[in-house]
Amino acid sequence: MKYFRLVWKNVFRKKTRAFLTMGSIVLVMVLIVVLVSLLNALGGEAALGSLGASRAVVQHATGLANFLPLSYRQKIEQIPGVLAAAPEIWFGGTYIDQRPEHFFGQLSTDPEAWPIINADVEIDPAQLKAWQSERDSFIAGQQLIDRYGWKLGDRIHIQGSYILIDLDLVLRGIYKGRDESNIFFHNKYLENSWAGRSSQTGIYFLRVKSPDDVTRVTEAINQMFENSDAPVKAMPEKEFNLQFLEMMGNVKLLVRSIALVVLFTVVLIVANTMAMSARERVTEIALIRALGFRRGQVLGLVLSEAVVLSLLGGVAGVLFAYPFTAFLVEGMKHSPVAPFAYNFRVAPLTVLAAMAISVGIGTLSGFVPAIRSSRISIVNGLRQVV
Amino acid sequence: MAIPLKYNLRSLLVRKVSTGMTILGVALVVTVFLLVMSLAEGVRKTFTTAVSPLNLLVMRVGAQSDVQSFVEKEKYESIRTLPGIARDEQGQPLASPEVVALINLPRKDGKKTNVIVRGVEPVAFKLRPPIPIVEGRMYRDGTNEAIVSRRTHERFASTNVGDIVQSGSQKWQVVGIFDAAGSPYDSEIWADLHNVQGQTHRNTGYSIVRVKVSDAAARDLFVAGVKGNQQIKMDAKTEQAFYEEQMGTAKPIQFLAYFVGILMAIGASFGAMNTMYAQVSARIREIATLRALGFPRRSILLSFMLEAFALGLLGGALGAILATITVSFILTAPTGTQNFNTFAEILFNFQLSWSLIFSGMIFAVAIGLFGGFFPAARAARLKIINALREV
Repeated sequence: MKYFRLVWKNVFRKKTRAFLTMGSIVLVMVLIVVLVSLLNALGGEAALGSLGASRAVVQHATGLANFLPLSYRQKIEQIPGVLAAAPEIWFGGTYIDQRPEHFFGQLSTDPEAWPIINADVEIDPAQLKAWQSERDSFIAGQQLIDRYGWKLGDRIHIQGSYILIDLDLVLRGIYKGRDESNIFFHNKYLENSWAGRSSQTGIYFLRVKSPDDVTRVTEAINQMFENSDAPVKAMPEKEFNLQFLEMMGNVKLLVRSIALVVLFTVVLIVANTMAMSARERVTEIALIRALGFRRGQVLGLVLSEAVVLSLLGGVAGVLFAYPFTAFLVEGMKHSPVAPFAYNFRVAPLTVLAAMAISVGIGTLSGFVPAIRSSRISIVNGLRQVV
Repeated sequence: MAIPLKYNLRSLLVRKVSTGMTILGVALVVTVFLLVMSLAEGVRKTFTTAVSPLNLLVMRVGAQSDVQSFVEKEKYESIRTLPGIARDEQGQPLASPEVVALINLPRKDGKKTNVIVRGVEPVAFKLRPPIPIVEGRMYRDGTNEAIVSRRTHERFASTNVGDIVQSGSQKWQVVGIFDAAGSPYDSEIWADLHNVQGQTHRNTGYSIVRVKVSDAAARDLFVAGVKGNQQIKMDAKTEQAFYEEQMGTAKPIQFLAYFVGILMAIGASFGAMNTMYAQVSARIREIATLRALGFPRRSILLSFMLEAFALGLLGGALGAILATITVSFILTAPTGTQNFNTFAEILFNFQLSWSLIFSGMIFAVAIGLFGGFFPAARAARLKIINALREV
């Protein structure tokens, strides 16, 4: 620690160089933080909420395009540990027009079971009551309210796409706290107006007593319907969310490989800088060795210089990443990936990881120059004229 | 009076390691940019291959894709009689009713994803460019035989000739592999229309009707008929317009490419700037000597800019080579991404075009020039006396 001032002075000895190097680290850290947050958003980590671990989803074994009989509900709810199961249908209709920025989740559900399953969501009890008692009403997430400026009592019209009916709904409630990019309406509304499919549902969303019950319950459900006409796949909510990322194919791999190459590149750039500055200081290093500094100390000095430099860049990078993410979220809202935009934020864990990564960058890039500097022989070093 | 280029090239060679690392830095940035762009280009190519402006899709109003659409049988009969439709040799209208179903199949990596099964009649092949069977044979009408596209065959498990693709109670026997030349159909499985209708319980109609019109005038006539006819009242759009909408899938990828590319390019140009500054400060006395010999300031500026240009160019070339090698030897298997409109996977190959490589080179040179400008300006501004004195 007592050499910190020396390290600090050395870092900023050539101001332009220090700031340029930090600049490239900053950019790379912004990139890494944004990419990692993006992966989290796509993976649905942020959408899980505090009860995510005790929720599960049941879908048709061959995929979401197939529907399940409503009669399964009773059987599922009889399994010990299941608190509630709500049949839900992804309506997938068009609000205003087909542009992707107007895309949001429209789900039918059982309004009585919904608050039990989504107990980690905030909603005014009076609004909840109003929604439950009115068949053609809906509740919407705060983000959608902000986006469209809907007020309680407003009516919206949603045109059906694969379900051949239109929705005419009145807003009775606003929920906050978890995945605020959806609206929920009565499944009775669909049952009544959707000929031929009144006894079917898309998925069952359920909550179990504690996270420990999830595995047992999902296995029991899978077995229960194994030999029926509509076999099911029951899984924890997290796995259900991940499945969408899976469908997007190799996005995750793509983002990971990009991040890796980016990191490698920045190590290259910083290492180059460190090597340049170490090379210019050969005489000086020989001098401090002559003054009695040991090889190990020289190695430590050069290495810590690299670490300090990249840590500074890392901190600035994380700070810059926040406004950048906000900017990107704005952009994403106008693209087909709009639904993911709402879960796109920088998590504390990501920040921590970013700090660790910048220490890593410093260590990796300072290593070779540090070893070289420590190997300088005093006599040759003093003799050399740069 | 210009300073010979040889001076710059030799200067670069003197500091081999630092020059090499800078070039490699630029090269990696270009490689990443090119790879991501070639992904987006692959999607674009898939949606523009074998797509005709004279083929129209008749769909339900409001449907975002053929998967969501439904056309009743009676409406199909009315559509067939509309004016504007081209006819085959027998005088039959070129109108192809098609049913599209999604099935969930395991990929070769074990993960399951949705694939489109398209049920067609023989007329479907008359509307499209030839679709050759490269292995096995054509399916027979009235059976549950199916042919699988080459890309689907390469990406999904148990899709060889003789295998059975199964999803729940629906199953088809694979009897052939077809090559749709990288068109959108290269992500699909094709089977007999009536069989697919039966297995998916859609006997009362079709997903879409695909129609060939004879020319642009006939097209307008037909579209007006589809939209205006009280019995039909559906939507008709050209294949071109339809697939352009689907191309939204590639937009996030393209955006990612630019985002990553631009941020990294600035980062790399900072690196190049550092290198060039180091070059300038290491050669202060050389520069002063050149000036004393009578080279004007702008020659010095030009000389250092050329050096930076060379750094960028070499980096760009190396990056292009790296990207080409990766695309042609490592990323050869078809890859897929979710089509947000159909919920099925669309398959494509990485496509590295010359224009992409060219834009990558421009990109690299820009990195070099931007990185070189300030150091070169500093070199040009040096005062001869001070510089010669400096040790």
